[in-house]
Amino acid sequence: MPAAQLYAALIDALPDPILVVAGFEAEDLTARRYILANAAAREMLRITAEEGMLLSAVRDPVVLTTVDAALFDETDAEGAYETTGAQTRSLRVRARWLGFGHDGARLALLTFHDETEVRRVERTRVDFLANASHELRTPLASLSGFIETLRGHARDDVAARDKFLGIMQAQADRMARLIADLTSLSRIELDEHVPPRGVVDLVMVVGEVVEAASPLGAQRRVKLDWRSCAGASMTVRGERDQIVQVVQNLLDNAIKYSPDNASVRIELQSGLSDLAAAASQEGVPRLSLVAPDPSQETYAALRVTDLGPGIARQNLPRLSERFYRVDGQKSGARSGTGLGLAIVKHIMNRHRGGLVVASAEGEGSTFTAYFPMAHAPEGVVKAS
Amino acid sequence: MSEHIVKSYEDELNSLAAECVRMGGLTEAQVADAVNGVVKRNQELAASVVVRDDKLDEAERDIERKTIRLIALRQPVADDLRRAVAAMKVASNLERCGDLAKNIAKRTLVIIESDPLTPLTRSIERMGKLVLGRLSSVIDAYSRSDLERALAVWSQDDEVDEHYNALFRELLTYMMGDPRTITACAHMLFVAKNLERIGDHATNIAEIIHYEITGQEMVGGRPKTDALQV
Repeated sequence: MPAAQLYAALIDALPDPILVVAGFEAEDLTARRYILANAAAREMLRITAEEGMLLSAVRDPVVLTTVDAALFDETDAEGAYETTGAQTRSLRVRARWLGFGHDGARLALLTFHDETEVRRVERTRVDFLANASHELRTPLASLSGFIETLRGHARDDVAARDKFLGIMQAQADRMARLIADLTSLSRIELDEHVPPRGVVDLVMVVGEVVEAASPLGAQRRVKLDWRSCAGASMTVRGERDQIVQVVQNLLDNAIKYSPDNASVRIELQSGLSDLAAAASQEGVPRLSLVAPDPSQETYAALRVTDLGPGIARQNLPRLSERFYRVDGQKSGARSGTGLGLAIVKHIMNRHRGGLVVASAEGEGSTFTAYFPMAHAPEGVVKAS
Repeated sequence: MSEHIVKSYEDELNSLAAECVRMGGLTEAQVADAVNGVVKRNQELAASVVVRDDKLDEAERDIERKTIRLIALRQPVADDLRRAVAAMKVASNLERCGDLAKNIAKRTLVIIESDPLTPLTRSIERMGKLVLGRLSSVIDAYSRSDLERALAVWSQDDEVDEHYNALFRELLTYMMGDPRTITACAHMLFVAKNLERIGDHATNIAEIIHYEITGQEMVGGRPKTDALQV
């Protein structure tokens, strides 16, 4: 490989985003161009060309000031930059003065260093501790209350002891579930800016989860109406375990809120544009809980519909908030950790997909999770 | 600008658009910092938003001056005239967004004097993120002359309203529950209203882009959810 080609390949392969910026006069905005952008830079700034107007790639004031300092004051400069879009990334941006190009342009090197992970680790740890200590307090207080009673006047009361031990068992189970969900949520949050690499057949995964959930459905007298597209396959980009978790949580919720002898409908649809995937039945209040950045991707959508009590319009925006419960319905018969949808939301965001809820009080709810497809089929369905 | 640079007509139009995009970047940063300020109760950040608003006002005046000069000297017609007018209108919408961000920052300085209202702050954060996403998306559409993306922003106007209505009810619940929160909640209500109006400006910009590219006005009403419907 000749030296020039080797250098070009080298720069393109560097993991950190790198731009070379050229400029002439400080007043001349349009003359400030990027003349080299490596693959990482093109991905981060969502640009396709290797050169173009600087402002068409980045317009953040901190980045522009940093570039200007290097270009026109010929000094090194740096700043902090946060990308917009569904998956925010925190970056440290550095600019170095390079000298003059052969056409007399001033040149500067712009490098970005990803600090998302460091920030995330810090924040996730704080969140985890705050949530765990707050949410575990109630079941813990109840446990120690019962222990006190059992050591005190209920010591020799066999009937009371059995009853209390049952309650304590339930509380301990709840604590275990909480810790499991919180741990899994923290792990997902940490990876949220790293796109999944695998490919998953959605038809197969949904089929398996539905089958595994049918005993629970039978126990609650809820019919699972799975419109399986037998033989068909629908491959999406994603991580199998996490997609299983999405399907499972949506299905669990639907079963939990279904009245007796009702059915839960599970459908798949493929080859949709982002707007078509997020669309729902006319007239029913709907809200996106997660929306991908606008793109030309095609999506496969999973729709889970229940005939439960539905959700009032004003409660829709808070649905994916951790520990949020509509009308404060704490534990009781429908006990959960209050983290199910928060987990689904973060997984969908990591998968560059979307999550939409459509619901009206007394008319049931439909949750739609849509994933970018691995191989786009012919003829994309656009939203009408 | 240095007198010796003789720019072509096309260059002048391009740099007008470029200045709008740079102003867009400034506006995004102002809105993002204003939201972060109120969510994280960061007094310093809020104060810096108030100070930096002057930059946006100046950018708008500058764009307006240059547009008028271009129209007077070059007498553009058809596409070129629409591009010039669009730049001026986009700048004026961005400047309004900046004012609203500044107002959020000013209220933040009052809000942080009372106790934190955590669940409410989360709702504001969510709404802020949504509105900021729309603003970014529409500025992207402007800088890339991407009609489809502009239309996508325009057609999703109702989502912001949905969040605003939910927040409105949440705030009422709070104020009825504990009158001591009324001061902070009243300011929060305006913060939410300001965010909703920033979302409206994003929709306006989408309409301007549509006019700039096609020469047609948007027909049909915006997809609206009635804000007062109970």
